[in-house]
Amino acid sequence: MAHAPVLEAIDQTQIRRRPPLDVLYEWVTTVDHKKLGLMYIGYALLFLVIAGFEAVLMRIQLAVPNNHFVSPQVFNRLFTMHGTTMIFFVAMPVMFGFGNYLVPLMIGARDMAFPRLNAFSFWISAFGGLLMYFSYLGGDGLYGMGSAPDVGWFAYAPLTAKVFSPGHSTDYWTLAVLLSGVGSTGTALNIVTTVLSMRCRGMKLSRLPLFVWLMMVASGIVFVAVSPLTAAQIMLILDRYLGAHFFDTQAGGSAVLWMHFFWIFGHPEVYILVLPAFGFVNEIIPVFSRKAVFGYPAMVAASVGIGFISLSVWAHHMFTVGMGAAGNTFFVFSTMVISVPTGIKIFNWLATLWGGKIIFKVPMMFCIAFLFQFLVAGLTGIMLSAAPFNWQLSASYFVVAHFHYVIVGAIITSLFGAFYYWYPKMTGRMMSETLGKWHFWLFIIGFHLTFDFMHVPGLLGMPRRIYTYEAGRGWEGWNLIVGIGALFQTAGTLIFVYNLVRSYYRGEVAGHDPWDAWTLEWATPSPPPSYNFAVEPTVRSGRPLWDLKHPEDLDENYE
Amino acid sequence: MNEMNATHDQGPLDDHSRPTDTIPLPAPTAWPMVLALGIALMLGGMVTHWAISLLGLLMAVPAIVGWFFDVLPHERHVYVDVHADVIEIKSTRETLAHLPLDERHRKLLPLETFSVMSGVKGGIAGGLAMIVPAALYSLIRYHSVWYAANLLAAGGFVSWAGESNAFLAQFHLRGLLAAMAIHGLTSVLIGLLYGAMLPMFPRWPILTAGFVAPFLWTGILHSALGIISPILDQRIDWSWFVVSQIAFGLVAGFVVNLHVKVRTPQFRSLPFSVRAGIHALGDEEDKAP
Amino acid sequence: MMQTTSTIPFSAQAETPWVLPHRGVVGIACLIIAESAIFLIFVVAYVYYIGKSLSGPLPAQVLELPILSTICLLSSSFTVHFAVSALRKNDQRGCTLGLAGTVLLGAIFLIMTGREWYHLIHDVGLTIRTNLFGTTFYSLVGLHATHVVIGLIMLTIALVLSLSGQVKETHAERLDVLSLYWHFVDAVWVVVFLVVYVLGR
Repeated sequence: MAHAPVLEAIDQTQIRRRPPLDVLYEWVTTVDHKKLGLMYIGYALLFLVIAGFEAVLMRIQLAVPNNHFVSPQVFNRLFTMHGTTMIFFVAMPVMFGFGNYLVPLMIGARDMAFPRLNAFSFWISAFGGLLMYFSYLGGDGLYGMGSAPDVGWFAYAPLTAKVFSPGHSTDYWTLAVLLSGVGSTGTALNIVTTVLSMRCRGMKLSRLPLFVWLMMVASGIVFVAVSPLTAAQIMLILDRYLGAHFFDTQAGGSAVLWMHFFWIFGHPEVYILVLPAFGFVNEIIPVFSRKAVFGYPAMVAASVGIGFISLSVWAHHMFTVGMGAAGNTFFVFSTMVISVPTGIKIFNWLATLWGGKIIFKVPMMFCIAFLFQFLVAGLTGIMLSAAPFNWQLSASYFVVAHFHYVIVGAIITSLFGAFYYWYPKMTGRMMSETLGKWHFWLFIIGFHLTFDFMHVPGLLGMPRRIYTYEAGRGWEGWNLIVGIGALFQTAGTLIFVYNLVRSYYRGEVAGHDPWDAWTLEWATPSPPPSYNFAVEPTVRSGRPLWDLKHPEDLDENYE
Repeated sequence: MNEMNATHDQGPLDDHSRPTDTIPLPAPTAWPMVLALGIALMLGGMVTHWAISLLGLLMAVPAIVGWFFDVLPHERHVYVDVHADVIEIKSTRETLAHLPLDERHRKLLPLETFSVMSGVKGGIAGGLAMIVPAALYSLIRYHSVWYAANLLAAGGFVSWAGESNAFLAQFHLRGLLAAMAIHGLTSVLIGLLYGAMLPMFPRWPILTAGFVAPFLWTGILHSALGIISPILDQRIDWSWFVVSQIAFGLVAGFVVNLHVKVRTPQFRSLPFSVRAGIHALGDEEDKAP
Repeated sequence: MMQTTSTIPFSAQAETPWVLPHRGVVGIACLIIAESAIFLIFVVAYVYYIGKSLSGPLPAQVLELPILSTICLLSSSFTVHFAVSALRKNDQRGCTLGLAGTVLLGAIFLIMTGREWYHLIHDVGLTIRTNLFGTTFYSLVGLHATHVVIGLIMLTIALVLSLSGQVKETHAERLDVLSLYWHFVDAVWVVVFLVVYVLGR
């Protein structure tokens, strides 16, 4: 303990003395997994602010009936860019950022298996995002200013055909998503290889921290889910540039085939995002309950199970297409089956909390909120998985509320918890608890105002993606509440960003292990040196730091 | 990286067994970033102007060459100085100077459990036992053994919905086969559930298996049967149904309990004397203050 | 009551040997899974559109079985395997020979595919825009040919290095990774062959 702050002092003076160009050069050329992880996270946060801003614009437009705050064309671009950005340039990079930063530290490795590929994957995803936003400036749009994509984030055919979507707006979308897909596949490959072939001595697969397991499963899904998207984008490019007929209904092509290809990616994508979120919760809840996680083997089995089942549920997005009774039945059941491993996880988290000495610090508060919100999100998911119910509510605001409940209520909420939990490791400073509590309450209240009440206009028949609506349908009050909630969330997020910046300079010095945790990343200084561990560690149980702290009661005796 | 891998394979003998002055890390390189930019520009040219694509190609090709020489014939490394300070690891929790309490002061999961197959066997036995009250009921009410079987099978055949009691009392091969399939599958599944559930309620197996579970199951069916099989719902006699469920539960629970239990991983952490059977588990728990 | 402090133990005692899979092999296995998914989507599209073309030419009219090129590509799997096992035994001449054979056979395959395409485009007039058959045929076979080209470039680099005597036994793992990729490309051709030239006709 006595020596750790000295190390940080050395690191920081080194950084401060160098001219900014040198620092920039260092970050551009780095192959260090920690720096790349931080760049992933920073880039995701930047796009989070942009896409969040787009969401606020949409909510202002929908807050009152017959509104003309933005034009219909701009509205179409807003929801397309919001969805695409949030999925491809916020959620995926931030998860990969945390994975990049934490996986080698947690398994006691000095870097990723392919450090240069790691840098390449980051940069190509980043340039993908820039290319997509360049569409606001460049290109010869059809509607005058800007030609941002406006075909929706799942870009159904034949709307994307050259005839219906002239100009280059759709090309921007497909090329940017293609680049992001290449980057994701590269990072996923890197993570799986790192976990399998870079573990420190004694780190058997049965001792991996659950976050590492979940990152590995999520990366495995990336191979089989993102690749179909890449293939489909290649087909779309061939259609648009070379005049192929994959999705050209005039020449016998099938629009439904695009739907299949997209959702073969689209649904597993949800699990690619939510599994790392489970990983955060798996690390945070035990530490703040002062108990080992309950049912480790069941957790691993459930994660792998989710990974496999998630590949067989995609067509529940397509019940209204008319797939026939057999198809519908299969996808109804496979979708319902996926709630079984998910339920196992929820029960295991509850059992971890049960009888624990729960410490309500901000990371833990976010995880508790996650438990509630993820449960509700899963329940509306089961409702929507029943085909007749889905026929009624497909493409309504009920669906929008459901998947935002998953993405914001579960993924983003646990992500905030992860920020508060690992920020001390990444920067060496604690984040402010007071600001954190303000952030938590504002954000959670805003979240529930927005997304609880968004279910109602959906049930009342309000379709998604409409530009505006007339008064007297019973939607206006609900939409106003939803809009107000969005402002609360914005306020909470701004406090969070302020907290991030402020704590970097003013935060309390953290030391290497502020939470009294058990995984290996807390055994190095904060921030860790470029080589992570001066000595390659050796572990004998799933909680190596517990063993060091409590030689009288070793974990290895219980394996 | 190769060097690192080599030490992974050979064990911690040479430079990693004690802190050394430097550690080899992969050298920083700009080529991956340049290649990514080149590829992005090549695609960007598709939406702007071909000259951009050309520029991208001009960046990508040297980047590939540069990257190649970063890796081959030898990976480039930088040697980073190590500040090998000793980090003390301690807990906020105070270490207990252990009172000689129980050896197993942590809560443990069940030491023994039933194997999955025992549940399946129990389910099959219970399913056989259930046939007796069902057949009795058919005989007494409708003077035919087949009534109950056909009634169960009717859920699967829409055309049977309007048939009379007399029709259901006759023998139908189709009905018998369907009833056997439905009954067999349900019995096995419920048996599996018993195998998993009984270790959780170890105190009164007869009460749990024989009565609580059948009543729960009957309750669930009572509320859901109208959706699953309307025809069965109209004609079912719930008191007989409960009797047959209890028969199933008692027999299935009995058969599951007969089987030898399987030791879970927790068993290995017990002291040797207990594992060897010299000390019984219960004694020790009683002695603990 | 007391506090326990400790440090990360410096040296590991002689335990069981700690062997992990080689990162190159794991990496290429992951890449192969991802690539298989891409090919799978293209194959599904091909199969889905069999017989759905609104106009000719149809596959039965214009496609001929590419027996010779198939034999060339499949036998190149053996030569690349021979190269790797020769390098494992530190037989550098054998390795060079194997690589040269692989490059030669791969090049023959590419040339024959090119001639087939030339025939189809120039003589028959089938392009990617003609009909659904053209679309799916050129994209699936073209995707595979792209992989062959990439593999050939890497094999050629390995061959040049091997000719200049820079490939040593220590590089066997890396050559093994390349050979796994090449085996994958061959395996994909078997699927493409069956789907396009057998099932599709």
